[in-house]
Amino acid sequence: MQVGGSTLTLGGRVVPTTPRAAGAALVREVRSMSFGLRIWMIFLSTFLAIGGVSALLALPPGWEIMGTKPSFEWGLLIVGYVFFAIITSGLCLSSSGATVFGIERFRPFEKRHAILAVLSLTTAFGIIALELHYPIRMVFGAVLVIAPTSPMWWMGVFYGAYLVVLLVEVWSMFTDHPRIHQWACTAAAGIAVCAPTTLGAVFGVIAAKPFWHGLFTPVLMVASAFLAGTSLLGMVFYFVHRLKLADHERAAPIAIPAVRLLLAIGLTLVSALVVRQVVAGLNSDELALRQATEALVSGPLAAQFWGLRVVAGFVVPAILLILPFTRTPAGTAIASGLALVGVFFDRLTFVTAGQIYPRGTLAGTVSYPYAEYTPSPVEIGIILGALAFIAMAYTLAERYLDMGETDVHVGIAWPWVKKHAHDDEHDLEHAETGAEGDVEAAGAGGLAAAGASTAGAGS
Amino acid sequence: MNEQPEPTGDTAVPAPQVTPVDESTRAAEASNAGPASDIAAAVAAYEAAEIAAAAEAAEADPVAGSTIPAGSARILAVPATIPAVGVTIPAVETAPADAVLLPLDEMAPAIAKASVSRRAFLGFGLAFAGGIVGAGALGQLFPVFADDSADVNPIVPGYDPKSKAWTFVVDTGSCIGCGLCVVACKEENHVPEAPEFTRTWIERHVRTTDGTLYVDSPEAGINGFPPESTAPGAAGKPVASSHFQPRLCMQCEDSPCTTVCPVSATYRTEDGVILVDARRCIGCGYCVTACPYGARYLTPAGERTPNDTPGVADKCTWCYHRINKGQKPACVEICPVGARRFGDANDPGSDIAAYVAATNPQPLHPEYGTRPRVLYLGPTLKEA
Repeated sequence: MQVGGSTLTLGGRVVPTTPRAAGAALVREVRSMSFGLRIWMIFLSTFLAIGGVSALLALPPGWEIMGTKPSFEWGLLIVGYVFFAIITSGLCLSSSGATVFGIERFRPFEKRHAILAVLSLTTAFGIIALELHYPIRMVFGAVLVIAPTSPMWWMGVFYGAYLVVLLVEVWSMFTDHPRIHQWACTAAAGIAVCAPTTLGAVFGVIAAKPFWHGLFTPVLMVASAFLAGTSLLGMVFYFVHRLKLADHERAAPIAIPAVRLLLAIGLTLVSALVVRQVVAGLNSDELALRQATEALVSGPLAAQFWGLRVVAGFVVPAILLILPFTRTPAGTAIASGLALVGVFFDRLTFVTAGQIYPRGTLAGTVSYPYAEYTPSPVEIGIILGALAFIAMAYTLAERYLDMGETDVHVGIAWPWVKKHAHDDEHDLEHAETGAEGDVEAAGAGGLAAAGASTAGAGS
Repeated sequence: MNEQPEPTGDTAVPAPQVTPVDESTRAAEASNAGPASDIAAAVAAYEAAEIAAAAEAAEADPVAGSTIPAGSARILAVPATIPAVGVTIPAVETAPADAVLLPLDEMAPAIAKASVSRRAFLGFGLAFAGGIVGAGALGQLFPVFADDSADVNPIVPGYDPKSKAWTFVVDTGSCIGCGLCVVACKEENHVPEAPEFTRTWIERHVRTTDGTLYVDSPEAGINGFPPESTAPGAAGKPVASSHFQPRLCMQCEDSPCTTVCPVSATYRTEDGVILVDARRCIGCGYCVTACPYGARYLTPAGERTPNDTPGVADKCTWCYHRINKGQKPACVEICPVGARRFGDANDPGSDIAAYVAATNPQPLHPEYGTRPRVLYLGPTLKEA
């Protein structure tokens, strides 16, 4: 991206920035879009508009139009925040095989995961800003007032740092700064573990809600993050393959099988943790935990749990991954989509089950047999708008940014990174360039080659 | 080694006169002089390389090439060892095999690509520092925590919180469920009128003859109670026992609300009362979900809210604005049967210490582990 005078260069396209010229360029761009893309953009714009209106209605003091109440304080917006926040972490966890460990089969994830991670984290922040009654105080309060006993404060620290690291990751990727990029990727992968763990701890420390309370909550949060991020990548790479987007040659033979592998791991992990959650809950001596779990499996949440969480989210994706004739890009994409829906409803049922059977009267409200919560149209509109925002921003990124493979993943020869033939080719190129006297190329590639050759000599 | 002329700005100065030196002789002399001269030998080798490079450059370009421009990178292209101190200076691997001095402007692209340049580093540091200073300045100009709420410090002059041992006792055997305490609280503290927003409320606990416990609290008990329990399933069942249980914030010693607050808006005063700084609260609802006694709520949008601040966490403060002036909480003051008792156990004139000693009240739900400071008497303890 280059900015100069009244123009902006994006992915090789010169975009004028004066209002008149920008308008004309916009019309040209729309005309240059295919019919399908135009329909897609109109579809997303509609939901974006719904989300925008909902967000305006929810701005303080508009919180009265939410479905939450003192006896059910956390609702769909908290679910949305958690969902998009863990997607961010999952994207980095899924891609860490390439970005941190240099494993060849995950390299197609590298650029797309970073773009998606920035978008999903930005969306998560937007949703939580609408959920909070005084979001500006949160920004300043979290910085100016240190509250180390609060998991929510630490969550702010980790996710705030996460956004900075992700922005550095994207910037260094598109501006060819390999060393910075690799440091950013490694830091992002580390925070991708810390951040959802802390997010899980936000719920896990609340002894007043036995369904949330406990050490397994952060573990389930990290596992769900991994599954959610992998699922999103699975859907994206199907469209890369189907629509022949940039670097699509590697989607079907490399990226989609890699997604299939990670998806199988994620589904196994999360389903085991959900089984543990249900079995432990039903056999607990704690009445509130037992009742909440019963609400989940045989009460008002049963339809969501069995239909969307278990069948759509676990069983069908697992079958699609196992059967030989559905081990196709389309089969993997459907499995990914369903798994992602499953994670969303897993988080929804998690948040609601935690509050559905309070231990006692809450602020004068007796909830019997269960506390009730119905998301308001505004809350649903915000979530739909958030989904449309990510989809539209990502569509534009695919259209205007260079999503092809990048060489920035070989900046530093970490001791744990296995040397690949792929790297050798790059090193060879760099060496040839260096021999011609291009000191610039030798600076980056040569250092990596030197590190690798040193490691090779040592072994 | 001949002295190099000082470069003047960006203009290349004329080439110095390079005097031929028998460097091998000079290095050999240095190496024979003992360990102390090892450093001198290494320095001599370095200088020899430097001179050779200068001579070579002068030969190639007598005008510009023989000069070491301002800011040249002093990079040794061959490894050198200083045995006396055991230090090895590594060669730069990207450089040619023979010794050269690379001007900084030639190295700059490679350095910029391989690492963060000094300019970028300084720029980032300055931008970061500027951001902090700017945020601080903005915070001063537009204080984010300032609004129209009451004075942040609730401690009035002359009040010594450290000397107080506030004690609150609720006798469920005496409570008649009239709801006057709820009315008084709402009036005294500008609590919203809607029943789901309340600092204190009354529950009715009815145990039927089949052993089932039914709990109801119609409109938080503000209008009293109908003869029959309103709890689903309780109608028509014969009652074995029943009692009223007034509820309020327990001012826990191990309070989850103060622990989880991400901006420290909820805090404990020195006399143990937990308060909310309405100017600081962000309205996240974390404390509301974390309170096991359900004593908190978020104030709704509207004119009638405590501290005139909507959208923040609120709870019973034991009428802190009254007790630090020597008055009793409004609910205690109005209770017609003395079911709520309050006092300073350290005050010789107060009978609360003697009352506690005589009746041995107990906390409600001690299994929650928060060490609540409101103590209960009567049938509600047998129920637990």
